[in-house]
Amino acid sequence: MHDTQIVQAVWGGVLFGSVYGLMALGLTLVWGAVRLLNLAHGAIFVVGAYAAYWVVSSLHQPILVALPVGVAAAAAFAYVMHLVFIRPVLGKPGFDNSTLVATVGISISVSAAALLIFNPEYKVVPPVLSGSTIVAGVQITYQGLLVIVTSLALFAIVYLFLTYTRHGMAIRAVSQQMEAASLMSIPVVQTYGLVIAISGALAGLAGVLLSPSFFLNPQSGFNPMIQALIVTIFGGLGSIRGALVAGFVLGVFESFVEVFYGVAWAQPGVFILIIVMLIVRPNGLFGIGEVKRL
Amino acid sequence: MLEVKGLVAGYAGSEVLHGIDLVVNDAEGVIVLGPNGHGKTTLLRAITGLLPPRAGQVLFDGKDITRWRPDVIAAAGVVHIPQGDLLFPEMSVFENLLMGAYHGPTWSGRKARLERVYELFPWLKERGGQLARSLSGGERRMLALARGLMSQAKILLIDEPSLGLAPLTTQQIYASIRTVKEGGMSLLLADENANHVAGLADRVYLLETGMLVREGPAQELLHDKALLESYLG
Amino acid sequence: MSVRAAAPTAIARPAVDQAAAPWRRVSLIAVAGTVLAGIALPWVLTRLDIGDYLITLLILFFMQAVVAQSWNLIMGYGGIYSFAQVALFAVGGWTTAVLASSLGWNPFVAILFSPVIAMIAAIGIGLPTLRLRGVYVVLLTLAFHELARVFTVTGPRFISGGGYGLVSVPTFQFGDVIGERRTIYLYYLAMVIFAIASFVIWRVIHSPLGVAVTALRDSETYAVSRGINQFRVRLILFAISAFFTGLAGGYMTHYNGGISTSVFDFPRLIDLLAMIVIGGWGTFAGPILGAGIIIGLDQYLVAIGDYRALFEGLILAGIAVFAPQGLWPLIRKTYDKYLGPEPPPPPVQADQPIAAAGAADGGG
Repeated sequence: MHDTQIVQAVWGGVLFGSVYGLMALGLTLVWGAVRLLNLAHGAIFVVGAYAAYWVVSSLHQPILVALPVGVAAAAAFAYVMHLVFIRPVLGKPGFDNSTLVATVGISISVSAAALLIFNPEYKVVPPVLSGSTIVAGVQITYQGLLVIVTSLALFAIVYLFLTYTRHGMAIRAVSQQMEAASLMSIPVVQTYGLVIAISGALAGLAGVLLSPSFFLNPQSGFNPMIQALIVTIFGGLGSIRGALVAGFVLGVFESFVEVFYGVAWAQPGVFILIIVMLIVRPNGLFGIGEVKRL
Repeated sequence: MLEVKGLVAGYAGSEVLHGIDLVVNDAEGVIVLGPNGHGKTTLLRAITGLLPPRAGQVLFDGKDITRWRPDVIAAAGVVHIPQGDLLFPEMSVFENLLMGAYHGPTWSGRKARLERVYELFPWLKERGGQLARSLSGGERRMLALARGLMSQAKILLIDEPSLGLAPLTTQQIYASIRTVKEGGMSLLLADENANHVAGLADRVYLLETGMLVREGPAQELLHDKALLESYLG
Repeated sequence: MSVRAAAPTAIARPAVDQAAAPWRRVSLIAVAGTVLAGIALPWVLTRLDIGDYLITLLILFFMQAVVAQSWNLIMGYGGIYSFAQVALFAVGGWTTAVLASSLGWNPFVAILFSPVIAMIAAIGIGLPTLRLRGVYVVLLTLAFHELARVFTVTGPRFISGGGYGLVSVPTFQFGDVIGERRTIYLYYLAMVIFAIASFVIWRVIHSPLGVAVTALRDSETYAVSRGINQFRVRLILFAISAFFTGLAGGYMTHYNGGISTSVFDFPRLIDLLAMIVIGGWGTFAGPILGAGIIIGLDQYLVAIGDYRALFEGLILAGIAVFAPQGLWPLIRKTYDKYLGPEPPPPPVQADQPIAAAGAADGGG
């Protein structure tokens, strides 16, 4: 085992872990707060990425301007999705069915729209930080470092927001006991909208930061969607801590498998790990099962 | 302050309240007495927006709040302390209390409110970090009451405060409610037995199968043993 | 029950409960008529220029309808959010492809194994999956979909064909028949498969198994408390669904003369989902209607190219939220309102006392 290999595996693991965590954060947040499995999460990711691309290529603005635009576009898109497709079925018995199909439909529409507006050609989104350095024979990109820092920072921010701020606590309250929350004058439906918008912003941010590392095309949302889903369930639906830990566990696992067994085994390896986890402990690492009502 | 006119409400397929008229005046303590299953909870839920009424009106401070959302009704000052407590199970005692003061203007005054609530129930301060789901029945009730007191309530609607509680805790709860009332709070209390409410009540309504069958001053009705026995058993 | 009958007779006969015998509700004439039409259709169509093309469309329709119905059985009736349907279709297709091209078996024999292997695969997927709550099923079945796809791309040569799929699979041969006649025979084969699948699925829906499954879907705790073994019931349903899906996969393989990894493409999955959602989620005729709509419209929508996916997605989302029951129930309601038979008259109120003898037995 070469030193370089280990460093490569670790760097890859931390980087993948941050990416997975970032993607999963928004998804688990929405599930925890609204009990909504948002299969359009990948689509929102793509909206952010394409919005940033458009700002850079059509408006000729630097990526630093495009970044907040991408985030805002994604948040706005998510909020509109909530208004049109989620809010009408909130509280109704067919909620699970309707939102499952609706979010799938939205995913398809977004990738079709991306195809129509931009074309199927791969687009290049410039990184916020370019350049890299070599550490122990391994290339460490500055953008990669940014992704890691951003991901960890966002986890911290979201955690602090939910734990110590008035609106964050309200989000938690609504997810635990909806009726009581409304009796405390917490506007339940608006709170849902807020959470969905926040999760959209997170997906959009991920989209802008991660798209430089692959070629952006209309199908780019599907893989991140699957990855987010895997990490979220592995970590335990609704658990922020779970998303973080699961992201890193899976990221490191995949990275080591890739370095020592080859790329072909990386994805199947992760899938098998998931299947094992779901059989042995379906609630995931930190899943708490059904929350009891007092 | 709170006026209910001809309120009709029910659940899918059945009507539970068949036209309720009642009034709660400023700083008044009004009790709705009735056996279980006759509509007490339905009445409170219909007033506070958790259950949309089918007919009738609810007026608060002159405003028609009949069709308002529960969170808007609560923000206006009509605060419901529900049956079953409905605490936030994964949040701590302290956090549950804070949520009681969620309303914007109330939030800024939360420290003072916390102090007042700690005076009533000192243990809340000592065990602020404990998760709500690990509390005993009596403690949950006290927390639910305290949470309601953290709010901007001008009138408190309390659903069966002593349900399922041991005698000592029951006394504590009613004593606290009395303290609150003496501070000027209006009360609409739904209860099943008349034993502890004497100190709080100005007027009493008797509720039977979804209709109010008697109304009168507390001294009259609460001391009429024969009436209460035949009615409440 | 007329007033006349109520008055003098002491014995009251209970009215026939229409719902208890569902097969009595389906008009035998309607079914026979449809079947005869189906048999005669190809001969009529071959008279037309585009006849051949239409027959091809119909074959496609039959097979898609089978898969859609099978998927609807577990999603609509069972409430199980499984996305493994396409993978099972592929299992069926690949089974018969391998048997026919690697082992040289006759397609008619090889295809018999498609449903069996698909069923085994379904049980294999179902064992870990069906124990879990809805959301997790989505993920696990998607994982199987992906695993299957990766396997068909990177697996051993006799399966993956070097990553291109299996391309020279023997097709169905009906003796020396070729051309138009052969197409018609292919049509009949597809129609028979469709008919059998539809019949079996219809029977399952109206059987105790079907009732158990919908009971589980609507109120799990109650159903379980009544003694329904949720796991076993779901597994059986899953297996039945896989049986016909695998069979359809096998048919399409020999019809096309090959099978490729494009069967796993997301758009195909979405099309199937659209058939169920638009046609009528959880109804018998819904997926059939949906299949007809999607395949029928597809021909026109080719012209608008990429807008098709956009509309499909939006319509899917729109119907799921605003008309979740789908088209079939709406059509049913309209039919009943304007064209259907008059509802039976309400039971007659006997206001005047019946003859003393009749009143003595409590009035029925």
